[in-house]
Amino acid sequence: MTLRSNLTCLLLILLMLFFNPFAQPARASGDPLPDTPFEQIREQARGTRVNWYMYGGWAHVNAWVDTFVAKEMKQRYDIDLKRVPMDAGVFVNKLLNEKAAEKKTGTIDLLWINGENFKNAKQAGLLFGPFAGRLPNVRQYVDPGSITHDFGFLVEGYEAPFGRAQFVFEYDTARTDTPPDTVAALKEWIMAHPGQFTYPQPPDFTGSAFVRHILYAVSGGHAPYMAGWDSDLYEKNAPRLWQWLNQIKPFLWQKGRTYPRDSAFLDTLFARGEVALGMSYHPPHAQNMIIEGSYPDTVRTFALKDGSIFNTHFTAIPFNAPNKAGAMVLADFLVSVDAQISKFQPENWGDFPVLDMKRLTLSDRQRFEAVDLGPATLTPEQLAKTAVPEIPAPFLEALEQDWKTHVLDQ
Amino acid sequence: MSWTSNRTAILILKLSPLMLPFVVLFCGGVFLTVCQSLGLFTPLPHTGGLVDAYTVILSDPSFFASAGFSFGVALASAAGSVTAATFLAYRVWQLPKMMAGAALVYKIPLILPHIAVAFVVLVFWSQSGILASLAHALGLIQSMQEFPNVLFSGWGVGMILAYTLKGTPFAMLLILALLVRFDVRQIQTAAMLGASRSRIFFSIVMPRLAPALHTSFIILFLYSFGAFDIPYILSESRPGMLSLHVFDLYFKHDLARRPEAMAILTLMFGFAVLFIIAYSKTVTRLENGVRKL
Repeated sequence: MTLRSNLTCLLLILLMLFFNPFAQPARASGDPLPDTPFEQIREQARGTRVNWYMYGGWAHVNAWVDTFVAKEMKQRYDIDLKRVPMDAGVFVNKLLNEKAAEKKTGTIDLLWINGENFKNAKQAGLLFGPFAGRLPNVRQYVDPGSITHDFGFLVEGYEAPFGRAQFVFEYDTARTDTPPDTVAALKEWIMAHPGQFTYPQPPDFTGSAFVRHILYAVSGGHAPYMAGWDSDLYEKNAPRLWQWLNQIKPFLWQKGRTYPRDSAFLDTLFARGEVALGMSYHPPHAQNMIIEGSYPDTVRTFALKDGSIFNTHFTAIPFNAPNKAGAMVLADFLVSVDAQISKFQPENWGDFPVLDMKRLTLSDRQRFEAVDLGPATLTPEQLAKTAVPEIPAPFLEALEQDWKTHVLDQ
Repeated sequence: MSWTSNRTAILILKLSPLMLPFVVLFCGGVFLTVCQSLGLFTPLPHTGGLVDAYTVILSDPSFFASAGFSFGVALASAAGSVTAATFLAYRVWQLPKMMAGAALVYKIPLILPHIAVAFVVLVFWSQSGILASLAHALGLIQSMQEFPNVLFSGWGVGMILAYTLKGTPFAMLLILALLVRFDVRQIQTAAMLGASRSRIFFSIVMPRLAPALHTSFIILFLYSFGAFDIPYILSESRPGMLSLHVFDLYFKHDLARRPEAMAILTLMFGFAVLFIIAYSKTVTRLENGVRKL
């Protein structure tokens, strides 16, 4: 592992050094200065290429980026879009290595990022900015109050909003009539149906979010946590969470001796019928899986009435992005009404818009309302009723670490 | 004197295509890993003491559970592979010439990547997998859940299966390379003098194969001890292989915990080196006591 991971990093750097000069087409020169008008930035970006590094695990999202986004970017701005699939944790590490090697010109122009990865990247000085406030579509359509924090960490314009996600559970109506839609009911249901429930093991993104729902529910909601890290509060409330999770443990899949490593594993268990409930941080996930043929048509979703966590995901520009102007044009396009509507359609992706509907023209709003989300996805109104914000990152980190000690190793 | 140093210089120069990547990449990588485990050159400024990361790790009982588990899985899969490979290779070697070609089939798992082998094991052995379906269809079990819980038994059986599947042909390759140079007349002579088949195998064939057995055992053991791909698919949550802990610490936790990930890697590397030294010393001592053929 030592040898392999480091070798890979170094080899990658070497490879980049060798191939970089030949692989890049014409590049915009110079970083856009803070007072450059956006029109000029668009002009500067014309005829260039933008490398967008993003999570590549969803075939439909990849297809949407490769077709719709790439085509529009070419037509509207004469920009060649290249999507590079990479997990957020991996590109943050790549940038860390580049920063350590003082590589002034990198290979990544735009990142798809949020949460801990954003916090890590911003703290380590890996991001260019602030730039979000300079994007015309962000200024026009996005409520500034909705993008001040990312997992409790100040955004300060270092990332531009891209989409919104909210946590939902999935169940098959052919198997389960009425799913348990409160945390208390969920516990009873799990105990009455041994072996039919599990959650991905934190620090998996989805499993970790599931644990936070329980924390909110057993400790009086999200409000106390919003003020930021408070170790007394954590010490007081965390034991209640561990107690809850340990009580259901003997009734979990494999008697709680083991957990799925990630949400894809849980999806497989749910699709094969080994467990009766699935979960996803993406409301359209079940509908997408139905369209793909992985889930039966009878699958539906529900959100916990105690509160279901939502978050915003963003795009950001690395400190050494070779084409910052192009990256800004792409980030801006992604917040445009056209892109957000296309993204909202379940056959494309189904990801929720970040736009403030009140700021839209009537006809644009109607376009959003006309989108048919499919039977499995809850409507934005249904989701809004239970939406609660994410916990600040230090709590999240503590929960992920202590879950191992207090639940897994118990 | 100058003649020898000249020769050494030329030798080093000639070896440089091999030495340079080794020194720069491997030694550089180990050096950086050790540094970061001590909190030097970390992505975020490290505030604690030099050995903080080691203190955290060594005071965590789950680290030792994982280390012991990784050791057990590596031992079982390496021993299993080498044993299976020895018997299979011996059998293949004894096959008539015509069938020897068909036996090349053993090389198939060699070309499959580890991750593919992990999926093969997953698809076949899970409780909703092919073997369970087959047993159910044949009426051997009443419901799929009755199929033995191989993958989640708590003993890493899934990983051991996958490593053995992958390691056996590798060890066979090394063993067969020695066997083809083996003089059949030694066996014939022993047989004529009345030695039993097992006696022939253990007293005549095995000692000749020893170098290949030791080499393949060390390689397979250390690989399964530290590798990541098969555990990623087949490992259970607890105790979990060390490589998965490192992966989680490296990619999924706060950057401030980078030294902990690197400290585990450093400990694993140190263990690998110690293991090779201890193993070779033991083998040498044992072989010195044995009369060579």
